[in-house]
Amino acid sequence: MNKNLEHAFVTELESNQNIVHKVCTLYTNDKDAHNDLFQEITIQLWKAYPKFRGDSKFSTWMYRVALNTAITLYRKSKKRVQTLDYESVIFKIKADEYDPTEEEQLKLMYKAVKQLNDIDKALVFLYLEDKNYSEISETLGISEVNARVKMNRIKTKLKTILNP
Amino acid sequence: MMDELELLKKDWQKKEVAHPKLSYEDIYKMLLKKSSSVVKWIFIISIIEFTIPHLLYLLPSVNDGVKVYDSLGLKTPMLILTVIQYIVIAYFIIQFYKRYKEISVLDNAKKLMSKIIKTRKTVKNYIIFSLIMIVLFFTITTIGIYVNDDFIQSLELSGQDISHISLEKLKSIKLIAMLTVAGTGVFLTLGIGAIYFLLYGFLIKKLNRNYTELKKLEI
Repeated sequence: MNKNLEHAFVTELESNQNIVHKVCTLYTNDKDAHNDLFQEITIQLWKAYPKFRGDSKFSTWMYRVALNTAITLYRKSKKRVQTLDYESVIFKIKADEYDPTEEEQLKLMYKAVKQLNDIDKALVFLYLEDKNYSEISETLGISEVNARVKMNRIKTKLKTILNP
Repeated sequence: MMDELELLKKDWQKKEVAHPKLSYEDIYKMLLKKSSSVVKWIFIISIIEFTIPHLLYLLPSVNDGVKVYDSLGLKTPMLILTVIQYIVIAYFIIQFYKRYKEISVLDNAKKLMSKIIKTRKTVKNYIIFSLIMIVLFFTITTIGIYVNDDFIQSLELSGQDISHISLEKLKSIKLIAMLTVAGTGVFLTLGIGAIYFLLYGFLIKKLNRNYTELKKLEI
């Protein structure tokens, strides 16, 4: 195995690992599953790495492989947990930014997103990562118009989850 | 709602996941682990499914049956069936391998799913073909026993002394033989079919669900 390639890959992934962690957080409900999915995404990224020619950013390329792994390749289908433990969703909160009302609202939002199906989650994930509709449509293989329509439906869906 | 999602977006982007950051070594170790992706499982299980129908020939009863074909006058039809069978199997294996090789994690989500489903469909068609062949083999054998009066002689060939057995009894032996062959055929067809469809459902359930979800967007 090419040592230089290995080194380049691990270094890139180490500095971009937050993207993969975010995908794992969305698609799994506990620490073990999180690590398991992270591992599978890493293997898939590594397998595809020789085909990555640097014509796009490493991170851009990562989104596709990570989401494909989470939605399609990852075998263990997650149990649908209805009463979600917020701890599994929680993100690091900086003390000076703490706002109880906003935080409460965000908690509910994260909970709602976790209840979406795999495809809806992928759309929300890309949306939250500030990807435009053309990138979203390319990643998922749907038309741009459909991506927009779907996103609007998801917003309605989230509203229903939040205000039943 | 719009505002809430925008709020979430801002929050999402500035935060890091509350998961311990992995070190260079942690990630490096992961490269050495084996994948347990659904594609890998489909490959392994498909290979097993390709071989299962052939393992039948290792069963002594099936093997003896092949020898009995000669005496039953079924040699030519069986030979033709076998040749056709192997040509078709070769076609399925090549098709499966080609489709398997086309699966790429770099495709968009929909394309990736459709390629995996297509690969699996090749195996599904192969299994359906195998089941038809099994039914055909056993049907021909059953009919062969029925129409062929030499069946009794073929029993003699297998080294049994039948001179003391009455004609009535020989007839019922013939009937029992036919029922046994037909029964085994039905049992194998249902058995292999059940195993296959259970595995099929198990492997492809999540994939199908997500694929349907994406396809729904086009309607």
